[in-house]
Amino acid sequence: MSEYALFVGCVIANRYPHLEKSGRMVLENLRIKFKDIPEFGCCPNPTGTLQISREAWTAAAAHNLCLAEDKGLDILTFCNGCYETLKSANVEMKNDPHHKDVVNKILSKVNMEFKGSINVVHFLEYVYKIITPEKLKETVVKPLTGLRVATFYGCHYGRPSSIVDFDDPIRPVSLDRVVEALGATSVEYLNKHTCCGSAISGIDEDSQLILLKDKLEQIDRVKADLICVICPACYMQLDGNQRKVNSKFGTNYKIPVLYLTELIALAQGIPPAELGLNFHAVKMKELIEKF
Amino acid sequence: MMISSAFRKEMSQTEIGKTINYCYQCGTCAGICPAFRVNSNYNPRRLVEDILLGFKDKLLNDKNIWLCTTCHLCLEVCPQGVLVSEMLFDLRHMAVAIGNIPENIREEGVRVFNTGLNLPNNPAIARRRTKMGLKENLMTPNVEVIQTILKEVGFPKLIEKLPEEGGNE
Ligand code: SF4
Ligand code: SF4
Repeated sequence: MSEYALFVGCVIANRYPHLEKSGRMVLENLRIKFKDIPEFGCCPNPTGTLQISREAWTAAAAHNLCLAEDKGLDILTFCNGCYETLKSANVEMKNDPHHKDVVNKILSKVNMEFKGSINVVHFLEYVYKIITPEKLKETVVKPLTGLRVATFYGCHYGRPSSIVDFDDPIRPVSLDRVVEALGATSVEYLNKHTCCGSAISGIDEDSQLILLKDKLEQIDRVKADLICVICPACYMQLDGNQRKVNSKFGTNYKIPVLYLTELIALAQGIPPAELGLNFHAVKMKELIEKF
Repeated sequence: MMISSAFRKEMSQTEIGKTINYCYQCGTCAGICPAFRVNSNYNPRRLVEDILLGFKDKLLNDKNIWLCTTCHLCLEVCPQGVLVSEMLFDLRHMAVAIGNIPENIREEGVRVFNTGLNLPNNPAIARRRTKMGLKENLMTPNVEVIQTILKEVGFPKLIEKLPEEGGNE
């Protein structure tokens, strides 16, 4: 499909609009056609609503899928949580007619019907599979040469692999290839596959911060200049809570965290001032001076 | 401790749940589990064992079952094809059904039901969005439609606030 329904998700839209800003600019630079659907609701969150009720999670996701189906558009999303939710609901209903019937019975109360006519794509998946790193490279005007980037995929991008099947579920490579296409060096670090801790922030703060500290420690050890993420929840945790780790453990981490579209935007020559990088918790003056 | 011999059967009723019967307690899931690594009160292998042994009461009242980060690593590495993470989601659903739900998760459910969004629109962000040249409020779902859907699956009951134990009724 040549045009997409953009699913920004509530965390980016209502907490980190600067990520949306860079996202929209990059979509235009990459000539990806997209529309907004204002009626989109909560995806809903796999770490929230899915933990309460599988039926509620699927039915609310199906509502979003139907809105895009009505317009004949595939869904393109910037958020891992939205991706896992919408993709799982879509694939599971497509594969299981009985499951689809059960959900459609619920949707009939609001005069909607899931048909199974669209696909759900993550922005990284799109760049990696459809644009390809080679073509992305051609859009780069300021190569990120010399930058050491620690990529972090988060948990809800490539798993479960029965649903998402184009990258390795434990050692994915797509983001590394994309970052390299921008001219940067992707650096390896220990326990890359491990959760950043974001999902249990409201349950057990100690565990949440230990997971985050572990991640920062490993990334700091390999002297990365920045962390590149593809999920606003990882962004919230890695950027927003570095300070908490520092005050709890007496560390002094100041590793900039960039969402993928911000990094692409910089490589494509969009001036940093247009990106709202000042809204990041970890400041990146030195990094910006390179652009 | 109360033991429910029917619990294993109860959990095995779904496509997800029935995979639990293949568990041979190797502990591979625990080996990769980030929640277990930082807090030994949470151990997916042990949770599976407790389900198989029928410790229903203990499990559904145990706050520690909520320490899972939902990362799905356990599901990917289990040599027996047990859908560990998904099956443990279902365990949590049983806890929620008897009123055992962490407050932050319950509040998220309430926000989704009341506004159609986990993070609702708010004036400060709307101003920032406008200044950035973005649409004031990006997501404006039809709350009535979403509520009708959620009512149909019994969601409101699951996110009701129960009276505090020992409090005045
Ligand atoms: S990895 Fe699978 S078989 Fe091994 S203990 Fe965990 S659930 Fe059981
Ligand atoms: S999904 Fe939960 S139980 Fe499974 S590895 Fe991740 S934190 Fe552990």
